Amino acid sequence: MTRNQILGLAVFLLVILVAVPLFIQVTGRWDFYYTLTSVALLSIASAGVWLTFYIGRINIGQGAYALAGGYFSAILITKLGISFWLTLPLAGLFTAAVSVVIGLPILRLRGVYFAMVTLVLTEVARLTALALPVTNGAKGITSIPLPSGIASFSNPKLGFYYVAAILMVIVFAAMYRLVNSRVGHLCRSLQQNEELASSIGVNITYLRVIAYSISSFLGGIAGAMFVAISQSIYPSSFQVADSVNFMLNCFLGGLGYVFGPMLGTLVLYFGWDLLFQTGKFQMLIYSSLLILLMLVLPNGLLSIRMPSAKGGRK
Amino acid sequence: MNRRSILKTAAVAVSASTFLSVASLGAWANETLKIGFVGVTSGPAAAWGTSNVRSMQTRAAWLNEMGGVKIGDKTYDIDIVTFDDQKDPKRAIAGMEKMAQEGIHYVVGPNVDDGAAAVRPVAEQNGIMYFPYAFPKELYTAPASNAILGMIANYQSGPAIYKYLKENKGVQKVAFVAANESDPLSQRDGGVAAAKALGLDVVSDNVTYQVDTTDFTPVLTPVIQTMPDLLVLSGVAPANAPQLIRSARELGYQGLISTETAQDATVLQEGAGELANGFISVGGASTPEIASDTMKEFVDRYTKMFGEYNDESNTKVYALEYIIETLKADPAAIDNVDEFKKTMDTFSAPNPYMKGDSKLKYVGMTSFGQKRQVFVPMVVNEFKDGKFETLFIAEVD
Amino acid sequence: MEQILANGLYLGAQYALIALGLTLIFALMNVLNFAHGQMYVLGGFVTYTIYAQLGLPFVVGLAASAITLAVVGALIEKYLFRPVIRRSSREESTMLLAAGIAFFLDAVILLVFGEKQRGVPKIVNGVLNWDFRLIMPYDRILIGALAILSIVAFILFMQYSRTGRAMRALAQDRVAAQLQGVDVDRYSMIGFALGAMLAGLVGGLLVTITGINLGMGGPTSIKAFMMVMIGGAGVISGAIAGGFILGMLESIGLSVLSQYGDITYLAIFASLMIFLAIRPQGLMGKPWG
Repeated sequence: MTRNQILGLAVFLLVILVAVPLFIQVTGRWDFYYTLTSVALLSIASAGVWLTFYIGRINIGQGAYALAGGYFSAILITKLGISFWLTLPLAGLFTAAVSVVIGLPILRLRGVYFAMVTLVLTEVARLTALALPVTNGAKGITSIPLPSGIASFSNPKLGFYYVAAILMVIVFAAMYRLVNSRVGHLCRSLQQNEELASSIGVNITYLRVIAYSISSFLGGIAGAMFVAISQSIYPSSFQVADSVNFMLNCFLGGLGYVFGPMLGTLVLYFGWDLLFQTGKFQMLIYSSLLILLMLVLPNGLLSIRMPSAKGGRK
Repeated sequence: MNRRSILKTAAVAVSASTFLSVASLGAWANETLKIGFVGVTSGPAAAWGTSNVRSMQTRAAWLNEMGGVKIGDKTYDIDIVTFDDQKDPKRAIAGMEKMAQEGIHYVVGPNVDDGAAAVRPVAEQNGIMYFPYAFPKELYTAPASNAILGMIANYQSGPAIYKYLKENKGVQKVAFVAANESDPLSQRDGGVAAAKALGLDVVSDNVTYQVDTTDFTPVLTPVIQTMPDLLVLSGVAPANAPQLIRSARELGYQGLISTETAQDATVLQEGAGELANGFISVGGASTPEIASDTMKEFVDRYTKMFGEYNDESNTKVYALEYIIETLKADPAAIDNVDEFKKTMDTFSAPNPYMKGDSKLKYVGMTSFGQKRQVFVPMVVNEFKDGKFETLFIAEVD
Repeated sequence: MEQILANGLYLGAQYALIALGLTLIFALMNVLNFAHGQMYVLGGFVTYTIYAQLGLPFVVGLAASAITLAVVGALIEKYLFRPVIRRSSREESTMLLAAGIAFFLDAVILLVFGEKQRGVPKIVNGVLNWDFRLIMPYDRILIGALAILSIVAFILFMQYSRTGRAMRALAQDRVAAQLQGVDVDRYSMIGFALGAMLAGLVGGLLVTITGINLGMGGPTSIKAFMMVMIGGAGVISGAIAGGFILGMLESIGLSVLSQYGDITYLAIFASLMIFLAIRPQGLMGKPWG
């Protein structure tokens, strides 16, 4: 790590762990905690989608893994009484394992074909959750106890915020390392030309499955965290719209930048919340701004800076 | 809504707001009482939340025009704060947080099961009473105590309807169809259990459809082949109802069709025309036989403000009325929901929307073991030539 | 059995017409038009306004839907997609733009036409009943026939008109077509307008049977994507095949699997995924889209 990177990380940590709570304390905008918690968790799931973009796949199926992770955690907690903190990594591992099975056949697909299969996957996940007995079908799983530790916070919002923020920092730090590692460079070669990569001895099948399972792992833990917050899960907790949003977050932030999904999620999610006062014109204004942004910055928000500044450049 | 009525609405809105701002510049200014709404007002289910929001806005504008609401020794103007959750439980939580931020203690919504379950922790932590339009019993039974069911649940109306049809129309065989989503499927399971308890023969109960189905003929073909006397459309969305009815009738189905949710007469008339005649649904209190003058004026004002009335509002007019009337009965409850809960047990006020001496009161002892449901007359309607006619009226305790 | 086939044919005809517009746009510009379903809904509401509200003849409504959507499509291509495609480094970025347009159209439709389900008076009354083996209302037969007619007209147009040939050349090889002197910008715009017009036309046709509401946009897009994938992205014949196959699949699947109830759609979607995994380019597509 260079000095600049350490400095950047320190400033970022300071902002989200000290400055933000301080700001909320001063302004009294307690509702921002949940909004920011959501942004952190959604950006973790979006980071997974971004990673599949990085190997040249358009992934509109992250909602399926978030749902699977959420259900896995909820079932372990309610049926087996396992602590939430243990189910969180387990949910990620579970979805990663599932994604290997699904990924092996479908990762051979490219372009819109892969995109469509993953889109169908989200709907398949919802229908599976409706049909299986263990998920309690249409009635969902409700009244899930708060995680131990969070429950002892006087304000659970604050607890969830810290957990989500720290998770986000870890995930993005790991992503940054990954992208700038040898594997990252190989992944980038997949994005540009798979045949070429294969011909110089890269095991592309292995690499794609690894990237996809990391992506799904992130989806799984994000889903599990949301279940802990809402203390309930239904087959509709993550649906096609969520899958599409995860993808849009990546586009908006910029596909060429590791931190793109974080910024994209912040703008898309916060934007909707900030516009809530506009009542019935909310959607109109929101979508107009989105189109305008796209016209001005078609390569994502981060493309406004010099492209060589940070992260995995395309 | 066509363009002209939009213009008209805009003109009315502008003149109304000018009038209001002039009025508010007058001698005294009332304090503001904010009431929240968290629910879906965009996307496929927009109709549900929109009829909520518009009912609340119509009533609020009306009350404010009359000089506000007197609670204790203060007079308040009602301000409706709305949040569109896009039918996403994660957004619904954000919406409830917003309400807490605005210092709101009384919220109408959410409209669906998953949203209502998701906002529960936030509502309980922040002292918010909320009125979901969702049926899961655990929302209303102890230890949950902050949710109040804003309408009649299908497990209350279903048995009453089946019993009536069994005794009066000789129904023996029942078939159920439902969309493959949480709310309709739960309602179907409840309906099947109720029908079996009545000794009815359930001939088909596992046919489902995607809500985006554009042609219901293939969906209904196997159902109709079981020759039921009654076809129950469990938890059917107002958008799907006319198409289902039309397909069933065009397939030659002669029996009865019913649902336990509220429907809109115009939608039925446009979508199915005379084929919808005889369709049985549960409504609020605006059939001509029972609607009071206040209800009629409400419908007029709603129509003026938004261009077109929605019959779903017959039920949705009540939540705001209950909040305000309960606050009037116990002014201390205005920022203290524990007071509100205490008052609920004994609360009673005249029902302005119904003829006769009907009362507003909280019920639900039988279903939930505590009073966590608004008392709304269960008006079972039959659709006839573009209008609803009262079939029978029942009560929930 | 006759009933199931007739249901499937009718569904297939309407699906194929929806998929055609989407695949045309994809073939010409490599844009996955997320707003296709919203264009369909807009078309439905235009016909509703003209036929049911203003009381003009149904064909006028249909024509108005087609024209409105053609204009909207042309404007969207010229002022939104063209500049973004020119400047974006990865062409998938247009998906965000398409989604933004979908949200925007949703918002406009909600504000202008309201949130309610809308329907129009039946255009023909009566039901064909062949001995209870085949039951089909006359309006359904008429709409099905009109849909097939539109498909045939579209194929003839693409096959024999100068514009159609230019568009096919463009779809096959953009650079080569440009070198041959095809005006790429002009034909992209015409193609997009044509695709949008088809969406509007289906909306106008189907409002007589299923009615219309603002929620139908998103799901319609997704269904259209599936049909395009079954047949092969960007291939006209593939879209038609995909439409009819999905129609049949739903019709047959719903009857055969009806006793399993809740898993019918699960089975349909899962088999679709397996099919695509085995044959990634769809039935007739170029491999790797």
